[in-house]
Amino acid sequence: MNTKLELANPQSAAPLIALRGVSRVHDGGAITALNNIDLEIRSGDCVAIVGASGSGKSSLLNLMCGIDYPTAGTVSWNGQPVRRHAEWARLRRTSIGVVFQEFNLIPTLTAIENVELALLGRGLSAARRLARASIVLDRVGLEPRLHNRVTTLSGGERQRVAIARALANEPQLLLADEPTGSLDSTNAALVADQLFRLRANPNMTIVLITHDEALAARCARQVRVKDGGIIEDSGATVVTPAVASWRAP
Amino acid sequence: MNLASLALRNLRRRPVRSSLSILGIGLAVGSALALMSLSHSIKDSTRAGLDEMGDDLVVMQKGASDIFGGFIAEDTVASVTAVPGVARASGELFMFAPSGPDRNMLTQGWADDSYLWKKVPLRAGRVPVAGERGVAVLGEGAATALGKKLGDDVAVLAATFRVIGIANYTALINRGLILMPLSDLQKVSLRPNQVTVIHVNVVRGDAGGNLEQVKTAIEALGNLTASTANEVLNKDRNFAILDAVSLAIALIAVAMGAIYVLNALVMATQERTREIGIFAAIGWSRPRIMASILVEGILLCLIGCALGLALSFAAATAFPHIPAIGDLVSFSPSATLIAATLAAAFVLCVLGALFPAWRAIRMLPAEALRRI
Repeated sequence: MNTKLELANPQSAAPLIALRGVSRVHDGGAITALNNIDLEIRSGDCVAIVGASGSGKSSLLNLMCGIDYPTAGTVSWNGQPVRRHAEWARLRRTSIGVVFQEFNLIPTLTAIENVELALLGRGLSAARRLARASIVLDRVGLEPRLHNRVTTLSGGERQRVAIARALANEPQLLLADEPTGSLDSTNAALVADQLFRLRANPNMTIVLITHDEALAARCARQVRVKDGGIIEDSGATVVTPAVASWRAP
Repeated sequence: MNLASLALRNLRRRPVRSSLSILGIGLAVGSALALMSLSHSIKDSTRAGLDEMGDDLVVMQKGASDIFGGFIAEDTVASVTAVPGVARASGELFMFAPSGPDRNMLTQGWADDSYLWKKVPLRAGRVPVAGERGVAVLGEGAATALGKKLGDDVAVLAATFRVIGIANYTALINRGLILMPLSDLQKVSLRPNQVTVIHVNVVRGDAGGNLEQVKTAIEALGNLTASTANEVLNKDRNFAILDAVSLAIALIAVAMGAIYVLNALVMATQERTREIGIFAAIGWSRPRIMASILVEGILLCLIGCALGLALSFAAATAFPHIPAIGDLVSFSPSATLIAATLAAAFVLCVLGALFPAWRAIRMLPAEALRRI
């Protein structure tokens, strides 16, 4: 069983993350969220997964960060299948940052405390955690709001706190699920700019889930999803056949 | 921020529920401690009372279920005194006797020539002289409880006795005694020529027999059991029942405390399912998520235990003012008893917190995040 995941290497032949023959059904097969998906994303890619509501794009993101498990198929990180809950938790702690449409911040905590949460369990002192949280919040322009409770922040500011939290552990892969979906146009533009500014780092891989074509167009590669399947991939790489299916742990 | 400060913040987020849970745990721990302490106190107080009388052996009727329950013919005292190795013996009639409409007092009758009269630590007055009848010596606690002083009359069963002495015993149970001539107590309790126990001192030094040999010799007289004070208490059915009942009620009380924790945390984790999903989504491991809920339960438990301890000591000050038991028992829990009660409460509370913690980590993060 794979217990150690290699850090991604841009020169490596293996994609950073790969889905092979992945399906996700609910209610004992009554609902098919994803059907036999094959997808590879390489280090440094910027990929937009586009589709209408209910097309399966959020389910895809959930499987790519291991907060949900496929009912069939394999999800691999850096060429190695990831199956165990603890492996996924470690990847989310060290290598994958996730931004959600609904921010998913802890309402009773301040901006800096929300970011600090992601750094707990990394073996850092409280002072180092706060210093790092402060740096990433500064990077998204929230330095003046560090100690504001997140419920007092605007939607755009909350989403930037969520982005800062996702970046706190300096991930290789940033997954953003409709990051501008709950924002007005001004804040949406601000948050989008914030996200694409991360492209300055050539090793940062971004996967953006959106139904916004304009936002998707800012990514080099667009993957279109419909009825749980991929119908178009502007930058498809060669996909190997699905490996043996496995059940969720 | 750490798990403890996060847990504290979560508790402060729901002040009413947290306070009620803490109060529930506090009451449970306080009741358990008070019950256990009460049971131990009665036993300790009786042991101290017997020790203060200076007994080496206490002779009871064979098969008597408790210290009140056996009856021995008064002339057996002479036979026991004649046993080799016995220095002296004194028969005693011992009972709870009604004194006035709402009180029962521990009452002891001693023969006129009993050595025990000479050992009464008088604070005031005197002990009865040989042949004197209708008089009583009160322990200081009994005098206070009954509001009696030298020269007053005190009612015992259907008769009245004049208080001629106040005894300053140190053991709480002895401080609550009414002492009177044996024949008086035999008469008013309709138990002529009977005693309940025989106090025995054995001969000291080389001339004295081995305690076990003396016990065997006394028991050989027939229908008697000779025991040390500890053995008397250990064999006493009343104490066994008291211990068992108080332990059972204490466990129920502490288990109720655990249920308060369970309830508080089940509600809290249900409300915070989405939050738990967020913790998982940002990479918290299952053990860490579980620990965050356990820490919250442990904090509830620790604060509740501290409150329970404070409540039980506050209640201790009220014990002496309870008419039925105040002059017989004291609330003085030992460090071992406190530690055992708190440890039991802690273990049960942690078990109560484990279930919601286990439920929280079983859920898929994506599923938890979908919860409102």
